[in-house]
This record gives sequence, C-alpha cells and structure tokens, in this order.
Amino acid sequence: MNNIVVTGGNGYIGSSFTDVATERGHHVTIASRQQPSSGNVPWLYFDLVSYKAFDLPLDTDILVHLAANISATEFLDIDTEVAAAQELIKLTKKAKAKFIFVSSQTAREHAPTDYGRSKWHIEQAVLAAGGWVVRPGQVYGGELRGLYGALVNSVSKLLFLPAFIPTPKIQPIHVLDLTEGLLQLAERDDLQSKVYCLAEPLPIPFSSFLAEIAVSRLRCKIFFLPIPTPAVRFFMKVAGTDLQKRLGLTRLNSLFDLPKMTTASDLKMIGLSLRSLPAGLHPSGNNIRRRLLREAKTLLTYVLKERPDSVLLRRYVRCIEALRGGRVVELPEIFLSFPILLSLIDSTCWRTDKLAIEFAWRMDAATLIAEASPLGASRFLGISQPEGMVRSICLLATSVVGEVFWRLMKFFVSPVLRLALVSAGKGLP
Amino acid sequence: MSVDFDVIVVGSGPAGVSATFPLIESGVQVLMVDGGKKEDVPLSDDNFLSARTHDNNQWIWMVGEDFHALKMRDAVSPKLRAPSQTYAFADFQSGNQIKSSDFTVVGSLAKGGLSNAWGCGVARLSQAELAEFPFTTSEMDASYEKVSRRIGISGRSNDDMSAYFGLDEYAQPPIPMDGLHKWLANRYEKKRTYLNAQGFKLGRSRLATLNTDFSDRKACNLCSKCLWGCSRGSLYSANHDLPALRKHSNFNELSGFVVDNLHFGHGGWTVTGQTSVDNTQRSYTANKIILALGTLATTRIVSRVLDIKRSLTLLSNPTAACLIWVPRLLGTKRINGFGLGQLSFSLALNNGLSAFGSTFSTTGIPMSEFVRHVPMARRFGVDLLKGIMSSCVVGNLFLPGQLTKAETKLSDSGTLIISGSYSDNVEPFMEEARNKLSKAYRSMGALLLPGSFTVGKPGGDIHYSGTLPMREVPGIGETSSMGEVKGMEGVFVVDGSCLPNLLAKSHTLTIMANADRIGGLIAANLCSGSTA
Repeated sequence: MNNIVVTGGNGYIGSSFTDVATERGHHVTIASRQQPSSGNVPWLYFDLVSYKAFDLPLDTDILVHLAANISATEFLDIDTEVAAAQELIKLTKKAKAKFIFVSSQTAREHAPTDYGRSKWHIEQAVLAAGGWVVRPGQVYGGELRGLYGALVNSVSKLLFLPAFIPTPKIQPIHVLDLTEGLLQLAERDDLQSKVYCLAEPLPIPFSSFLAEIAVSRLRCKIFFLPIPTPAVRFFMKVAGTDLQKRLGLTRLNSLFDLPKMTTASDLKMIGLSLRSLPAGLHPSGNNIRRRLLREAKTLLTYVLKERPDSVLLRRYVRCIEALRGGRVVELPEIFLSFPILLSLIDSTCWRTDKLAIEFAWRMDAATLIAEASPLGASRFLGISQPEGMVRSICLLATSVVGEVFWRLMKFFVSPVLRLALVSAGKGLP
Repeated sequence: MSVDFDVIVVGSGPAGVSATFPLIESGVQVLMVDGGKKEDVPLSDDNFLSARTHDNNQWIWMVGEDFHALKMRDAVSPKLRAPSQTYAFADFQSGNQIKSSDFTVVGSLAKGGLSNAWGCGVARLSQAELAEFPFTTSEMDASYEKVSRRIGISGRSNDDMSAYFGLDEYAQPPIPMDGLHKWLANRYEKKRTYLNAQGFKLGRSRLATLNTDFSDRKACNLCSKCLWGCSRGSLYSANHDLPALRKHSNFNELSGFVVDNLHFGHGGWTVTGQTSVDNTQRSYTANKIILALGTLATTRIVSRVLDIKRSLTLLSNPTAACLIWVPRLLGTKRINGFGLGQLSFSLALNNGLSAFGSTFSTTGIPMSEFVRHVPMARRFGVDLLKGIMSSCVVGNLFLPGQLTKAETKLSDSGTLIISGSYSDNVEPFMEEARNKLSKAYRSMGALLLPGSFTVGKPGGDIHYSGTLPMREVPGIGETSSMGEVKGMEGVFVVDGSCLPNLLAKSHTLTIMANADRIGGLIAANLCSGSTA
C-alpha cells in the first residue's frame, strides 16, 4: 500500500486511476483545482497556474502527474506548465517519492502544437530527475469523458463523419489498461526510468476507430464523408492560430501529426496485455457478459453434445461471475465455433499450469451445470432412452473410439495448439 | 452458589442426545445448547430419477443457488457438496476456532450435529474389541440395546456379517437391495467357502435406517435421495430424538449458542459463548458439564481450559473408494433404490488387521462426481459412464484409525491446529486391500475397475476420535471410565474424543452407547447425591 498523490485526479484518466488504485488498497489523494464530487477521497488544492502555493505531503510515496492544460479556452503558456512540472519534481524529490508523468503521443521537441512541445519539455525534466514517463495512445472506454467522450458524442450526433484522406492512424488503449500500466509503474521497483509508450502496437485508421465506436459502443450506423487532409491543413493555415484554438482545431492538428509509437516492447516489459477494441468499447465496459455467454455455449455444447438452452448458459455465466470473478478464458475463435475441438485441450496440452487448472475447474462446472437439468439427465443417465446390453456396448465403443481419435489428433496438432492457446487466459488473474 | 442447571449438555448430535436421555428420565434439570443451524433447502418427496427427468429446478438441490456444489468442488465427499447439507457443515472451523494443515477437517454446528449427513452405519464392538475400554463389557451391552431400540436400526439377516455387527436382536429386516447387489449377494453365496478362506466376508449392511415405520418416522421408500436429504425421516439423525426430549419439562434447549470456554468457580461450572441470536456473550452455570461438541471442538475446549500445550493423538480411519463393475449386468435399467450401504464386507489383512467397507448404488450420485476421475476427455467420459454406470456399484473401505498419524495442538491464540498424515503402513495395507478386494470380486464375476481404487485424503473419513481417551487411571488430557476429564472434575466428555481406539468398524453407535452409559452414571450420581 502506497500514499499516492494524483494531479488532475478528477479527469478522465485521473478518476479511473484513483478508483482502481483505491480499490487495490492504495491511499490516494487527489490534487486538483476542484474538490472531487465524491467526498471520500482526500483532496489538496492544486493549480497549474498558481502551482507555487502547492505543498506535497512528505509521506507521499508516488506522485502521478496527470494535470494538463487541455482546454482551448484558457491560454496558458508552455513555460508556466513546464515550470509547474519542475516545481512538482522538486517537491517529489524532497518527499523522496516516485514521479510518474503521463505525457502524450504528440510529445516531440518540434511538435506542431504547444501541447506536444510542452509535454516534451516536461518529459525531459522528469527523466533528468529519474522519473517515469508514460505516453498513452488514443485513450478510450469507460466513462464518456475527455477526447473519447467528445468523439462518442460526435458520432452519436452527426449524420456524416469526416473520413480524412489520407487517413491519420491512431493507436488506441483502454483507460483501464492504461490505469493498470500506471499502477504497475507505481507498484513495481524493477521498471527502469524511461519513456513507456502504451497503446495497441498496430495503428488503425481513425475512421475505423469511429466506425467501431458506432458499432460496438452506440450500436448505430454511420456514414463517412471523405475530406482531403491537405484541404483541412490549408484551412487551418488560413484561419490563423486564434481561430484554430477557438474552433478546437488544434487537437485535430495533433491528430494529423501523430508519430507512430513502438509499443510492443514496453507493453511486454510492464506485462500489460490490452483488451481488443470491440471489447473495450462495449457499453458494459468490457463486453464480458457476451464473451462469457459464448464460453458457456462452447463448454456446455461440448459436454452435452447439443446446444443448451439459454437458461443453462445464463446459469453458467452467473456461476463464473459468482465464483471466478467473472473472468473469461479467451478460447481461440475456432473452439468457439467448433466446441468438439475442446476434446483436444480437455485434460492436457495447456500452456501454463494455472490456465490448465482454471480450465479444468470450468469444465467441471459446465459438466455439473449441464447434468443438473432434464437435458442433462437424458445425456448423462440415458433416462427415457432405450437401454440394454447392446446399447451400452455401443456407448462404450463410441467413447473409446472418440477418445482414441482425439488423442491421436492431439498428438499431431499439439504444437499448433500451444500457439493457439497463447492468448487464452489473458483475463485471468 | 446456586447454579442455573444441574447439567449443561454442549452439543445436540448423537452423543449429546444419547447422554441426555438417562438424565432427563431421572428428573435432572438439563440445558442442551447447540450451534442451531438448520436445513434451508426444501426437500421434495419426488424420487430421484423422476425429479431428474422432470424438475427444471433440479439444479437448486444438485448445484445450489449459490453454486455450493462448485464452491466445495475439492471437498472429500459428495455429501459436502450437496446443497441441502450446507447447513450441516457450515462455519464449523471458524465457529470453533479450529484450523488444519494438510488434514481434512469437517464438523457441524447444526442441530443434530454431523448425524444430519451420516452414512448411518452401525455396529457393536465385541468383548475383545472393547478390551481397551476401562469398564466391563456388560455395562456397554445394556446401552447398545437401549440406543439401538431408540434410534431404530435395520439390516437383520442371517448372514456372514451378523456376528460382526452383533445387532440383529434389535434390528428390523433389511431395506430391499437393488438388482446389482442381489446379484452380488447371490454370487457370494456360491463362492462363500473360498471367499471366507480369503478373509472376505459379505453381508447386509446394518444401518440406522428404517425398513418399517417407527414412531413419527416413515420407512424408506427407495427414492434414491439419501445423499440429498431424506424427507421421510427414514435415515436417523439426532434431530429425530429431540421431540421426545422436549416432552419433558426438565429439558431446556438453547439454540445458536456456540460455547467458547468453561470456568470453574463458586462450586459450579460456567459455560460462556456467543449466541447467534444477538451476537452477545452469554454464560450459564451448572454442577456438571457434558461435552459433546464433536471430537475436535470438544478437544479444543478441554485443551484450552487445562492449557494443554502438547500435541494430543488424534485417531482417524484411512479411507479408499472404488468402482466395481458387473459386466454381466451391462445395460441394466437404472432404477431408484436405497442410497446408503446395501452390502458390507470385512476383509482380513496382514498382521491381524481388519478392513471394513460397504457398497452403494450409483443411481442417486451425480455422474459429474465420477466424470472428473475418468482419464478421458469429459465428452467421452460421459459416454462411457452413461453406458457403464448402471452396472456398477461404488465401494468404500476403512482401515483402523491408529494408521493415521494425526494430532491436535493448541496454539498460543487458543486455536486448535489439526495436522496429520497417513502412516507409512497405509500404502502397503491399501495395496493389499485393493488386491484382495479385486480378487474377491473377480471370483464373484465383478471387476474392480482399474484405476478406480482411490485412497482418500487424511481426515476425509470424518471419524475423528481418541484425543482424550478413557483410561483406568487417567493422566492430564485423558478421561476416567466415566468420561470425566482429569483435572476438570464435573466435566464429562461423551463424544468420539473419549474413545480409546478406533477400529475400521463403524464407531458411531459405540459413541452413542458410551454416552448413554455415562449419562446414566451421572444421573445416578446426581440422584444419590440429592437423596443424600
């Protein structure tokens, strides 16, 4: 348990971080201009402008610096923002605390925006002081706040969305995955001081991101209006800086200027596995229910040899939610389509012991839940089916032939299987 | 000092009620306290196979609305997974401040104690087997008879196990066997001479279950639901004895009172503990205290009062289970039947040791219990079991309790720590038992399924006993022939903890008879005291 102070703790990322860190047992204090609406979290007044009035408690273990000047209406110059950060670094040193700075994908020495440049200057100061820097990609998911909230809002309201040509590409990261990354940096001592780029390794077109918001988050249809990017650039040049800021176009400018980040090695170093975009955009936050239902259908169909009714599926999902923390075992797609293939992984051939144990538990759960139903009575006991020695011999023969066949199959495909199962169990603790 | 009661009996299980009867009958003022947990899953009258076919809500009693059966996935016995039995085992360790390491610990805070989930096996110890008990056999004989007649037992049969059980004079005829067991019994008759020479004897199980109606309880109707809770009262539980006790005005009862400690002072004993009614500490006083909390909880109280810091030896039967297949009956129709032991056997092993076991129908047991032990992918394991299980019986096996090396130890914080493992002898004895059983059943035309013989985890028998053994001249941590704890005059132990030995043979009736004997002695003592 650590004492963590979060500047900008009321913001989109800040509030997510505060919630999760508190849940994990950390003692979190929010440093911001406004007192948090939920009065349970300790609060200190902090403002990027009047930063000199701020004093960091000496028992602070970690400072997470999230506060940033993002609003277009207030004109805060770069120097003030950098000076505020430097002051915070000084205070952190005095308290012998860790300094974690959440920067931006746009941070560069000669970035086209003030935003990107100020972030770069702060990064340099933080690294010089031995702190940690995180450059997140396009943060999305959870509450409709920040840029993500604005985008969802636009997609829901606008009939046509701009599809810039050539299309800018973004690298998304779910706000909870980013939170997890920040917590890892906060909690662990083995991660060196450097810039960590956290986002999906493969950039996707911005328009695909918007389309996914429409499909997975809003469940609506959208249409794209192609707009040539050079035209936008030209307009912005003509409009001048003031008008750009007033129209909120500065942000658009940074979108066009996103440098591609290499994230795979940093994700690996932190041990972070990112959820997929459709899962992260699902209104439930993670699409978990639907994935659990698919898991239920796969396991129950495998045991019952026929499609179970929805009551059984829901019972399995409730069971996993009640006893296994609602986590999904990420079975490869092909298993979900052909449940009989589970014969290959039922009992052995698993990547890690932990996963094998969890899978065996779920198989037992599916077996018992399947059995405890009229359908199960027929499948397991053969009630109301013909009996007799011949029938029983057939059953024994079926079972032995099936077992032998799938064992042979397992022998041949096991190398492929191991690869296929790499992603399984991602969501497990 | 004036005390609240003459005697306080702690625990309403088989031992507690058996000790209480003689006291109540002689007019002594008794307070019985217990954990008071009661069943909360309603029992249906429907038979097992019909319920399985038609009941859309069967998962409620098979899995449980809180998924109890899956929560208890790794527990040692299907009984511990049955949702209707949850109450019988709930909160025992935390309520009694007991912890275990590598040893299965099960106990009860329920009204009626562990008898709520009892396999109902009864037997009488012979004169030779009672040799270690520090009193004469005749003292026990009267109590065996009294208790047997009170609880109602069945299984009387002129077979090879008649003398072993020694209870036929008080027993009803046996509950009818299913086809598989009839077939096995028949084959045994034909091979009897050979099998007896091998040290294998087979006969009907003697059980505390009803073949004919008995007071308010109904005879077994062969509904296959023994595991899930008997709605007819055919299986004995100490709960069935409570109405008879409640008819007496000198019987007082306090439910939901978990005793924590005892104190002696001002000429009497005070029990203190917590009530579940309002979570307050309460205390009651009496001249004499009878401890019947179940071996482990009783041991903790005694260890705590006497501050016994050394380890006490705990007896517990090593167990094994197996599946026996009758190929000739492959494809037999599944029918409802009796779910507890139908045939029982004794098996002579090396060094004069004797094992005991019974066989059961598989009908009322979920197939899921077996599927995960089949070394096949579940999908095909289900096919296999569907084909084979109607021609299989399940067997269990017990070895004598001294083969488990277990102990109880009081920690500085007052928690009783249970630890133990099987002695090195268990493995060869189990090996021998498996081979001999395999051979015996093979000669009867049945097959002990290879790989099905599984040795249970230490403590899984739930036959804990012998921590405070009765001795002619007891030392500290032992009890007198009256069960009176050395160093705690006026406190008597009547549950399994005072047994001086634990055979493979079912021991519950012996605990009950001994409790009845001790209750009688205390009653006589109190009455002679008051007349004097």
